[in-house]
Amino acid sequence: MKRRSRPTALAALAAAAALALTACSGDSGDGGDSGGTTTLTFLSWTGEEQMEQVIDAFEEDHPDIDVEASYSPPVAEYIQALQTRVLSGTAPDVFLIAAENKTNLINGEHVLDLSGEDFVENVEPFNLETYGRDGKYYGLSLSSWAAGYLYNKELLAQVGYDAVPETWDEFLEMCAKLQDAGITPFLESVDQMPTTVSAWVGAKNAEMEPSLDDQIFSGESTFAEQWTPELEEYNRIFEEGLMSPDVVGLDGDQVRDEFANGRVAVINGGPWFIGALKEANPDLDFSFSLVPAIDGGEPFAAGAASPGYAINSKADEDKQEAAKTFLRWLATPEAVELFQSLTNDVTVTSDFEPPVDPTFEPMVPSIREGQLYLPMIAWQRAEDVLNVEAVAQIQRMIRGEVEPEQVAEALDTKLAAS
Amino acid sequence: MTTLATRPTAGLRPSDARTWLSRPSGGWRQSAVNKAFLLPAIAVFVFLFVIPLAQTFWWSLTDFTGYSPEAAFVGLANYRVILTDPSMLAGLAFTLLFGVGTTLLITLLAIPLAVQLNKAFRGRNLVRSIWFFPAIPSMAILGLVWRYILSPLDSGALNTVLGTFGLGPVSWLSDPTLARISVIVVGVWAATGWHAVLYTAYLQSIPQDYYEVARIDGATPRQQFFGITLPLLTPAIVISTFLLMTGGLKVFDLPYTLTTGGPGFSTYTITQSIVVSGVGQGRYGLASALAVMFTVAVAALSFGQLWLTRLVEKRFT
Repeated sequence: MKRRSRPTALAALAAAAALALTACSGDSGDGGDSGGTTTLTFLSWTGEEQMEQVIDAFEEDHPDIDVEASYSPPVAEYIQALQTRVLSGTAPDVFLIAAENKTNLINGEHVLDLSGEDFVENVEPFNLETYGRDGKYYGLSLSSWAAGYLYNKELLAQVGYDAVPETWDEFLEMCAKLQDAGITPFLESVDQMPTTVSAWVGAKNAEMEPSLDDQIFSGESTFAEQWTPELEEYNRIFEEGLMSPDVVGLDGDQVRDEFANGRVAVINGGPWFIGALKEANPDLDFSFSLVPAIDGGEPFAAGAASPGYAINSKADEDKQEAAKTFLRWLATPEAVELFQSLTNDVTVTSDFEPPVDPTFEPMVPSIREGQLYLPMIAWQRAEDVLNVEAVAQIQRMIRGEVEPEQVAEALDTKLAAS
Repeated sequence: MTTLATRPTAGLRPSDARTWLSRPSGGWRQSAVNKAFLLPAIAVFVFLFVIPLAQTFWWSLTDFTGYSPEAAFVGLANYRVILTDPSMLAGLAFTLLFGVGTTLLITLLAIPLAVQLNKAFRGRNLVRSIWFFPAIPSMAILGLVWRYILSPLDSGALNTVLGTFGLGPVSWLSDPTLARISVIVVGVWAATGWHAVLYTAYLQSIPQDYYEVARIDGATPRQQFFGITLPLLTPAIVISTFLLMTGGLKVFDLPYTLTTGGPGFSTYTITQSIVVSGVGQGRYGLASALAVMFTVAVAALSFGQLWLTRLVEKRFT
């Protein structure tokens, strides 16, 4: 008796589970067109306060399309929300493709190829290629961000400098002078990939054909070969005692606060610091600079293309057409101007010049020309795995636990295992 | 129970009612009713534990990415990756250290604290509340606050205080050993009050007669503590240490917000490996394999600890 009742109970539970899951899945995915209006579902990365104004402007121009937006903050929460919806077959018609999900979205054929569409023509190729593969573009990325060095003009002036030097040797020389003057010369948060290392590898990558990452990921070269010289240069600042190894215990906000209070001459950072710095210390006289160059190269910036608008390849054809209309409108100068005014992003469309904070102007040419590099986005697979490993190993190098070459070798090992 | 036994259900014949009344335990009907009350708990257990666990086990044998329901069966490949990749198990040492360290330290601190908080003194409730307070905010918030307190810079809150005495600065979160100690100390600080309150509740159930008799027999406070209080607290110790050990082994939010697992992998935890290396990177198969291995290990450790503490409990009660 008991034996017979077990399958029955299991079947009942399975039925209940199926019922619950069906109920949870909610969106049937078919509806949306009523009275000649196409409803477009959109999962926004940008906050509701800003994006709502953009959507209102679009709907005013296109009354036949109703954008039904939902919002999820970046980064982890957005990636999780989108992934859940993709998995359950309820992905929105338009969503954002980002560094963290591009491999899975492209591999799973969840995103529509946008190459050949007229609205990608005025967008910086670097941004399109960031979210592309094999000549195809899967995301309409309309802006980029860049990180470099922020310097306190007053503190630098005390040792006879009016800006950050263009070469690493000169920079270390300046740091030594600052230190002799009793000023903490440089703090770089290394809870993420150091800005300096990203920029140097980027500068090297820009000079290589095929690219540095093409060579590493095709097996032609290795991290040990390509990254070791840059890591050795970076380690010099710790070996020469010009930056405290205590930076391994700091995050970006702590470094920013030190800078805001005038306790350090140079830090790494991006445009997201500007507002907080001006609020914390309105009298602070600071500016941005590119990361000084090594090996006779050019100063470079760490950075990447912002996530791109992607179209769900599984959406109905009419939804895809409406989505293209939405993306086409987003790339117009009027829409870009509106978006830029709401988000302060540095946009990269050729027909609109974004106004930027004067302190950030030295970084703008790099952004507009796509002269940016961020390993995690440039890497062709196992991006997160490699990034976690790189950050941890660089921290160990700073603490003197491993040599620069061992950091690079650890990345090779990780890549081989992925 | 009494109400059910004395009130025949509608529709029952008088003879049935007599039978019902004649069996206070209720017979099979009562037994069925009793079991019915367990159904919600069983349903919750099945839906929130059994099904996810079974699904996790299945995923651990596949290359599931989280983006497509189609996943290829890969056998034990994910388990092989974990056992051969040192960074996947980088968090093992600190996870064990945190689990065992916080369990021991909190137990050693919470019991004497509970004994003190159980005594009558002016402002007792206020003192109890103050000790209990760190258990209220989330560990993530505490981690962020302590990150500023333990900043290794001269301007860090604790280093500023030390500086006034001509000491420091100390590399609290940037030295691997100090970072491990810092995470454990914050964990102990946050949970000691909560467990002291748990012990206080048990202390209040110990009859005062025992202490009176002991005092009459000339027992010192120390002898009373080791002869009466501690043995009668063993049920509370079992519960408290069990909660601490399972919670400690699953720790994620505190080290993640306080040190992000660094410097290097020094405060990295297994749960961080599962969340960051697996879920965050779309490697659900791998993360599931790690979760399965971790669940088995935590279960083995917890049951071992439970068995040990039960032995102690039997010995003293």
